[in-house]
Amino acid sequence: MGKVTLYGIDGSPPVRSVLLTLNALGLDFDYKIVNLPAKEQLKPEFLKMNPLHTVPTLDDNGFYLYDSHAINSYLVSKYGKDDSLYPKDLQKRAIVDQRLHYDSSVVTSTGTAITHPLFWENNSEIPQARIDALEGVYKNLNLFLESGDYLAGDSLTIADFHVTAAMTGFVVFLPVDASKYPKLAAWVQRIKELPYYEKANGSPSQQIIEFIKSKNFTIV
Amino acid sequence: MGKLTLYGIDGSPPVRSVLLTLNALGLDFEYKVVNLMTGEHLKPEYLKINPLHTVPTLADDGFFINDSHAINAYLVSKYGKDDSLYPKDLQKRAIVDQRLHYDSSVLIGTGRALTTPLREGKTEIPRARFDALEEAYKTLDLFLESNDFLAGKELTIADFHIIAGLSTIMLIHDVDATKYPKLASWLQRIRKLPYYEEANGSRLSTIVDFVKSKKFTIV
Repeated sequence: MGKVTLYGIDGSPPVRSVLLTLNALGLDFDYKIVNLPAKEQLKPEFLKMNPLHTVPTLDDNGFYLYDSHAINSYLVSKYGKDDSLYPKDLQKRAIVDQRLHYDSSVVTSTGTAITHPLFWENNSEIPQARIDALEGVYKNLNLFLESGDYLAGDSLTIADFHVTAAMTGFVVFLPVDASKYPKLAAWVQRIKELPYYEKANGSPSQQIIEFIKSKNFTIV
Repeated sequence: MGKLTLYGIDGSPPVRSVLLTLNALGLDFEYKVVNLMTGEHLKPEYLKINPLHTVPTLADDGFFINDSHAINAYLVSKYGKDDSLYPKDLQKRAIVDQRLHYDSSVLIGTGRALTTPLREGKTEIPRARFDALEEAYKTLDLFLESNDFLAGKELTIADFHIIAGLSTIMLIHDVDATKYPKLASWLQRIRKLPYYEEANGSRLSTIVDFVKSKKFTIV
């Protein structure tokens, strides 16, 4: 059986969540960059794999899959030596699933509300309300961490990968106040200590962080 | 086995997606209405079972879960006589999961972007929000290109989430059957499910009244 291929771009947090999963699983994979600004995702070859033309997209020997959460669940279920990153126990899984959907429905949109005008509309003024919404997310994440060292409990799961990747950009807009959100601050450090963190998320996120800083945004 | 309790309110599409799943599974459950208008979800007793104070919340013998997608996946996995509503086959499941996250990340927000201004008493809704909904209809029609159901040849919980959301938002902006024929026939197919009326159809009346009472222009 051949390697899986991940299509994506380093700047994308969902792509980095899959890089974290692939590294955590110790899987060999090919990484093909899709140049989004150049609209490479709209080419027929890409649309064939993913008609929603989003990244990440996975090609597992002819099986095409998109949405980072679906991809990460699939990778752990298929290739994991054990189920710890996405537990089969129904109650544990339900908590991971809730965190994954919190990521999809709240974390991502809260971030996009801040980055979209900045990246795509040349608007470097960020309304305070959007930063307040981000702080609301920090508050909830801190709450999730009340029951364990990781977002879904006592063990690392793919939920931690999704939120870590998103937080990497978020902290440029709003650093985590450790006095207000001590569990969240401790968790951010804990994840950074994973042996594959630098390779999968740390270095790939450098460029997008510099890009955000270069925009000289102000909060109004 | 203990009691299942669903906390929610009929107006909420995610709540109705769980009602569809519970009915499809033929499960006994208690339905406790949480009055969001009076802030019942913000009371200490509710925060204890769901600190995010959202609906739906499911209680299963002292185990509490929130988020409708997590709830539905759990219910099928625990109580389903078979796995058809949430297949165990990895590839089939991955496609259902992608549809569920499409619901979470695109559809729910797209619907809310239209209903929120109305709830806030605004009379103008930006055209871009209707365009976004049309884009969603186009995507759903695409998902149905080769299959009768959203995630493949069989009914899954993905269909429950989408019908709950669509039946609501269509009250503001209908699905054009000439543009989206597959989506239109899927709508008919789902409405024929024996439990559809009980779980979803009959629970739309407050929304129907609400939308009728609102006058708005598209700007």
